[in-house]
Amino acid sequence: MDTGHIRNFSIIAHIDHGKSTLADRLLEYTGALSAREMEDQVLDQMELERERGITIKAQAVQLDYTAKDGEKYMLNLIDTPGHVDFTYEVSRSLAACEGALLVVDAAQGIEAQTLANVYLALEHDLEIIPVINKIDLPSAEPERVKTEIEDVIGLDTSDAVLASAKTGIGIEEILEAIVRKVPPPQGKADEPLSALIFDSHFDSYKGVIAYVRIMNGMIQPGMKIKMMATNKTVEVTEVGVFKPFLANVDQLGPGQVGFVAASVKNVRDIRVGDTITSADKPVTEPLPGYRKITPMVYCGLYPVESSDYENLRDALEKLQLNDASLVFEPETSIALGFGFRCGFLGLLHMDVIQERLEREYNLTLITTAPSVIYRVFKTDGEVIEIENPSKLPTTQEIDHVEEPYVKATIIVPNDFVGAVMELSQEKRGEFKDMKYLDTTRVTLTYHLPLSEIIYDYFDKLKSSTRGYASLDYELCGYQTSALVKLDILLNGDPVDALSVIVHRDRATYRGRLLTEKLKGIIPRQMFEIPIQAAIGSKVIARETVRAMRKDVLAKCYGGDITRKRKLLEKQKEGKKRMKQVGSVEVPQEAFMAILKMD
Amino acid sequence: MSKLGLYVHIPFCRQKCLYCDFTSYVQAEHLFDAYTTALCQQIAEQGGMLCKPPVDTVYIGGGTPSILPLPFIEKILTSLTTKFSIQPAAEISMEANPGTVTKEQLTALKTLGINRLSFGVQSFDDKLLAAIGRIHRTADSLIAVEHAFAAGFTNISIDLMYGLPQQTYDGFASELKQAAALGTSHLSVYGLKLEEGTPLAAAFDNGQLTLPEEAAEEAMYDLMTDFLPKKGLLRYEISNFACQGKECRHNLKYWHYEPYLGFGCAAHSFFQGERISQVADVEDYIKKMLIGASTIAMRETLAQNVVMAEYVFLALRTTTGMDLEKFRQYFNIDFFSHFGVVFNKLRHQGLVSATPKQIWLTELGMKFGNIVFGSFLPD
Repeated sequence: MDTGHIRNFSIIAHIDHGKSTLADRLLEYTGALSAREMEDQVLDQMELERERGITIKAQAVQLDYTAKDGEKYMLNLIDTPGHVDFTYEVSRSLAACEGALLVVDAAQGIEAQTLANVYLALEHDLEIIPVINKIDLPSAEPERVKTEIEDVIGLDTSDAVLASAKTGIGIEEILEAIVRKVPPPQGKADEPLSALIFDSHFDSYKGVIAYVRIMNGMIQPGMKIKMMATNKTVEVTEVGVFKPFLANVDQLGPGQVGFVAASVKNVRDIRVGDTITSADKPVTEPLPGYRKITPMVYCGLYPVESSDYENLRDALEKLQLNDASLVFEPETSIALGFGFRCGFLGLLHMDVIQERLEREYNLTLITTAPSVIYRVFKTDGEVIEIENPSKLPTTQEIDHVEEPYVKATIIVPNDFVGAVMELSQEKRGEFKDMKYLDTTRVTLTYHLPLSEIIYDYFDKLKSSTRGYASLDYELCGYQTSALVKLDILLNGDPVDALSVIVHRDRATYRGRLLTEKLKGIIPRQMFEIPIQAAIGSKVIARETVRAMRKDVLAKCYGGDITRKRKLLEKQKEGKKRMKQVGSVEVPQEAFMAILKMD
Repeated sequence: MSKLGLYVHIPFCRQKCLYCDFTSYVQAEHLFDAYTTALCQQIAEQGGMLCKPPVDTVYIGGGTPSILPLPFIEKILTSLTTKFSIQPAAEISMEANPGTVTKEQLTALKTLGINRLSFGVQSFDDKLLAAIGRIHRTADSLIAVEHAFAAGFTNISIDLMYGLPQQTYDGFASELKQAAALGTSHLSVYGLKLEEGTPLAAAFDNGQLTLPEEAAEEAMYDLMTDFLPKKGLLRYEISNFACQGKECRHNLKYWHYEPYLGFGCAAHSFFQGERISQVADVEDYIKKMLIGASTIAMRETLAQNVVMAEYVFLALRTTTGMDLEKFRQYFNIDFFSHFGVVFNKLRHQGLVSATPKQIWLTELGMKFGNIVFGSFLPD
């Protein structure tokens, strides 16, 4: 097919603004799936994605559409993750497109992620088609939202499409707008091959499947190709398109979106953002924008049963096949034994991985509180990066410590500006900017320590604005902070997995909160358990779990041993989720207590 | 082969005690006859069916067996003796409520062959008895025991409770003294446990009930383990004390992993490696028995690792503990090669002790029995 009849587009939206439902309607309308195959939100394939109503991985689908002009078009929809953790993946997906549907909820208007994604799309020079979704809602205010889009983003909304993905209103108009307004891709078939990898997944039969957008040249099975970032050369075994299920084709040409399989076993060799070229006739320059993904948040993952260590490693390796952004390395904790320090793109990413490990691999895990990467400048001139609080050198060895800061954009109704400012202040934020979106909504910009964001900033933000605030953030560098390591001692012994790095001024408060919280979590045992919070050798807070006096079943009614045993089994089941730390049995949730404190 | 124990459940009471969650019915006199018939039918079926080992213990429990009129008891005992080979020296126990017995009744029971009585005295403080919904008072208990001695019983047990609402340490101390002074050869002492669904548990949840402080309750426990042996009542199981040779042989069967058959609704059997329970509802039981339907509510054949765990934790309830050689014979495996890791951890915690022949719970282990028992269960 000539490039003039190809349109490549994405859908960008804030979470819950209806992106997945719209994608479903487009598939349905163009007959990409028969009614029988149609399942709600087919693009969100993972069970977890569907449950949480979010898109974690990008997906792609080819729609065949006969437009009103009578011509047949090949529309490639590239779905993008809607969460701040996956901004890089979004940017790669956008780089594979010429246009984007900007979906905005007709009742809620622009939110922080809408803005973040629009700016990304504008950076890639995409043609943006505004779609005001959910116009069937009684609270819909399409005109207000249009004005907002014009004022805030500066987009012309005179031919914005009014739609309801739920009821099917506006779907045809959207397809027509794509054909009319999104420019066809450029690119020549006789140029050397260059193709952008915007996603990948692992298939146990075909190996890694690269999701690509061909910029120039042709690709077909048998061809030798090279990954420019990793310099890996392989032979193509299959190429195809997304219908949305993988369908083989003879070749892919310029402008097309499809997949390439080449018996690659490691997802690391097929990096999102990398450029595929011909091994024999390579291009000289890769496509712009590739960078290695670096995790922002780290935590320790430990099996409750130490015998599960190998299973955990296997599971992590399997997940990594599909998720190049997940990193892990073995780690040992005095309290928790053998485990892994794992790096994630953000908190959602961490949550998702943890849940998949427990659900899909049936592991019972202890997760330590997430940490950012601190830069420690030692007195001897050495600079080290630590992502595990227990590794912080002693105060004498430290000259100063830097922590990562983010630029946070918060969109909030007028009435809550005070609350957001107060919260951000409390979380050590530096005010940067405030702009009115319209007469009722405000954009606030703050520089905040990333550690505060992953601690409880987002939850607090939601609760102090009754859920109205939306947040987006990006890393903006490191700053020096007065940080100290807060240790927790159980029964006199420090528990490395419970150490946290906190700001000096908040240490006492956090220590008190933490010991109180742990007191509520750690069950009474045969002996008294002191819980102490300490900085260095100085104890700053203390609580005590009283000793249990007795624990024995006295009576046995008429030989009913089964009932007795069941009671013991139940008790034992409860203990399963506990970890023996020294002489103390500590429930799993204790290690996360540091996070969820109120 | 081990000798057999027989348990007969009498699920009737005059009044339900406020802490009790066991199967029993009040105002069910109209069921006495039908229930006895059903019981005898079950006894006949099971006694006649197979070649059963000789019986050396019978236990008629409840509920309150003593409210069942004598002719019914007689019928049940006759049924048992004709269908089973009950040895002449068998221990034949019956539970009785001190508020429901007369001298004549006790004498008649003795004549029928009952040779051990267990009185649900529970407390020697009328205020406490009222608070837990017992129908009898202290005077009734004293008279009942006196009558039992007069009727010729030499094997008498009383039940006591500690940790009752409003009970004090001093109060319990004097109750223990009174109990010992009665001169019975057996004493069971249970801590009150609030069972879900009982009026007492509900009252506690509503804040209408205060129980003794944990420290006071523990002190009561300590006093009982210290005081009773000095009076010749030696502790032979977590909650049981007896003069030497007067231990309840039927209850020991539970701890020694010996077989027993249970008759009546909600009764439990352990026979040929199977645990079986009968339906709990009395009318359901009678009806099923009558129409020849199965009365079995639960039947489980235990996996070998569960059998091992049960064997160990039941034996450990007794003060003599578990005989290692018997374990080896029963399972054909050395105890330490199977449970060594678990056992050493418990020993390290001071909960168990061992000689080459025997393992047993320490004083601490008795208090934290559940920690020990649970450790042996498979993960």
